[in-house]
This record gives sequence, structure tokens and C-alpha cells, in this order.
Amino acid sequence: MKPVSTLDAATVTAAQRASQTARVLLILPCYNEAGSIGTLLTEIASLGLGYDTVVIDDGSSDDTHTIASNLSPCVRLLENLGIGGAVQTGIRYAQRNGYDFCVQIDGDGQHPPGQVARLLAAYKPGKANLVVGSRYLSADTFRSTFARRLGGEVIGRSIGFLFGIKRLTDPTSGMRLMDRAAIEFFAVRYPHDYPEPISLAWALQYGLGVTEVPVQMRAREHGSSSIAGPQTFAYMVRVLSYIALAWLQHGPRSRKVQTGMESS
Amino acid sequence: MNTHLPTLPTLIVVGLFAILYLTFLIRKTIRGELDLYDLLMLSMVALMPALFVFFPSLSQLVVAITGVAFPFVIMFGMLFLVVFLIVHRLTVKIHRLEMLNRRLVQEVSLLQHLCK
Repeated sequence: MKPVSTLDAATVTAAQRASQTARVLLILPCYNEAGSIGTLLTEIASLGLGYDTVVIDDGSSDDTHTIASNLSPCVRLLENLGIGGAVQTGIRYAQRNGYDFCVQIDGDGQHPPGQVARLLAAYKPGKANLVVGSRYLSADTFRSTFARRLGGEVIGRSIGFLFGIKRLTDPTSGMRLMDRAAIEFFAVRYPHDYPEPISLAWALQYGLGVTEVPVQMRAREHGSSSIAGPQTFAYMVRVLSYIALAWLQHGPRSRKVQTGMESS
Repeated sequence: MNTHLPTLPTLIVVGLFAILYLTFLIRKTIRGELDLYDLLMLSMVALMPALFVFFPSLSQLVVAITGVAFPFVIMFGMLFLVVFLIVHRLTVKIHRLEMLNRRLVQEVSLLQHLCK
């Protein structure tokens, strides 16, 4: 895996403080990630920041479970539930084991675990319940294709416009921190298809706060995206429809916490 | 307005179909393979044509009320409504079962992990 630039001392200190005073769980949803999961878990352990991990093996047919269970607790789903079902299983694990925070990072190694410190450092109680790692707030990181950026832009602007918050720059980012309130909410209700942007709309509709911080990401080294070709259109229709439905349910209820964005 | 009355072969075919289909459904319900609500909904597919064929005056009445000239259009319209209701009910049921199945897979997997 390609290295990413190092974090500043203040971010590391804030993350260390957070992981010392609060229990942090890293959720790693995986599907046939035997090629990357071992390296990723070793990388997390080498950080020495005291993060707990749980790997959710979404019914892999390769050695993902064997490799992961040697290095971390690993929940093997009996059936392939897709990314939403796998992440929600991890959230339920966090809820039942009393974690204060859980952080979702991809098992394919796209999300450098060192960047979790940025999410923890950006978390401010009462300000936001979800901290999303945005690859578009940082200049020196891997960026997606133009089509994906455009799709993300439309979704981010739609969420911002409908829920009256600042535009989200990376609503499809799978790297995100959830606090206890978000854990409790998503343990009960979490979207199963294309969950990243829809879960943001559901969280805002429920009254949770969302914020973004710049993070660095790596290019995918194994496998390919499930959204390509004609599926892109279906993806956009489905996601935008769910966001509109969430907005319709939103009503005049005021949000519990303010939403905003952390500047880099 | 169409005033043709059903012929004897029509009465026999529709009546026979209604009897056989209802017997089939009732047997399934007795065996517990269908619930009473399913029986009611599915039996409409046989009962509706039977009503129109055995009671032509009823179809004339419906035609007069709705202003649609052909009773068979009314009948197919009503049958379509019944089929739509069945599909609607099944969609809701399947969605609920899908959610439940997902939840069960998650719970069993978490329990299995706990037991190891």
C-alpha cells in the first residue's frame, strides 16, 4: 500500500487523547479482501493508538476470514448482505460492546488507518455526530474519476440544499466516524444499498449533525467498484430519491445539533 | 349497452373453474399453506367472473352505474384491481421478510462470533 503524508503533532495528540478517554472501534467491512486485510490490520496495530477493530466478513469465498480472525475479532456473515448490511453489523457490535465511537474504514486499504486520527481530532461533542472524511477538501490525495466527482457533487449539493446545511464535498466517502448517538440510530436503521450518501440524509432527517474533515485516501489496489456503466444512472436515481424521501420526512423539526464543516 | 346473455357452455366453464379453483384454495387453506386473507384475495379471481356470468343483471347494474358499455371491461378492471391488491400485499410482505432475514443473518452471525 502506498504511504500517505504524516499527520501533524496536534492531530496525533488529539487522537491519542480521544482514544485514551473513549473507546474507539474501527469497523472494517470486507468482501474477498484476502489480499489487503492482513496488511491493513497490521498497519492499524502498528499505529499504537489503542483502536479496537472488528472485521465484518460479508460472506467472502476467499481466505479473508482466516487471515482476519488471526489478527482481529472477525464476524463472518452467514450470507452476503452487501456493504450496508455489513457496516450495520459492525455498528451493532459497537452498540452492544459499549463503544463511544466507531469508525468505518474500507477493508480494501483505500482508507489509510492513520487518517482516523483526523476524524477523532475533529470531533466536537454537541457539534456533530458524524465526521466524514473528505478526499476533496485535501489537495494532496487520490481523487476519483470526473464522473464520480460529478455524481458526488450533485448528491452533496442536494443534501445541502434540502437539509439547509453547507454543501458536503464527499457524501459518498465510506470513511466516517460515528459517536454514541449515531451508533444508537444506525444500529436500528441503516440503508442497505448505496448506504454512504443515504445514511447522511437519514442522519440529518433524524436530527444528527454531520461535519467533514479533509483526509487522504489511496487508490483501490484490489477489485473494482460495483457502480459502473448503466448502474451509475440507477445509483443516482436511487440515492437522490432516498434523499428526497428523507427530506419529506424531515418536516419542520429542528435539528438537535448544528451542522457545519471543519476547515482544513 | 351490451345485452348479450351468457350461453350455457359459458356458464358451465366459468362455474366449473370457480368450483375447482375454490376447492383447491380451500384445501390449501385447511392445510395451513394459505391464510384466510390470501384465500379471500385469490378466490376473487374465480368469484368475480362467476358473479358476472351467473348474475347478468348485476353486470347491467354496474354498467349503468359506471357508464362503461361493456360488462367484460368492468370485470377485467375489477380483476386487475384484485390482482393489484394481491401484488401490493405481497410486495409489503416480501420487503418485511427481507428486512427480517437481514436482521436474522446479522444477529446469528454476531451470536456465532460471541460463542467462539
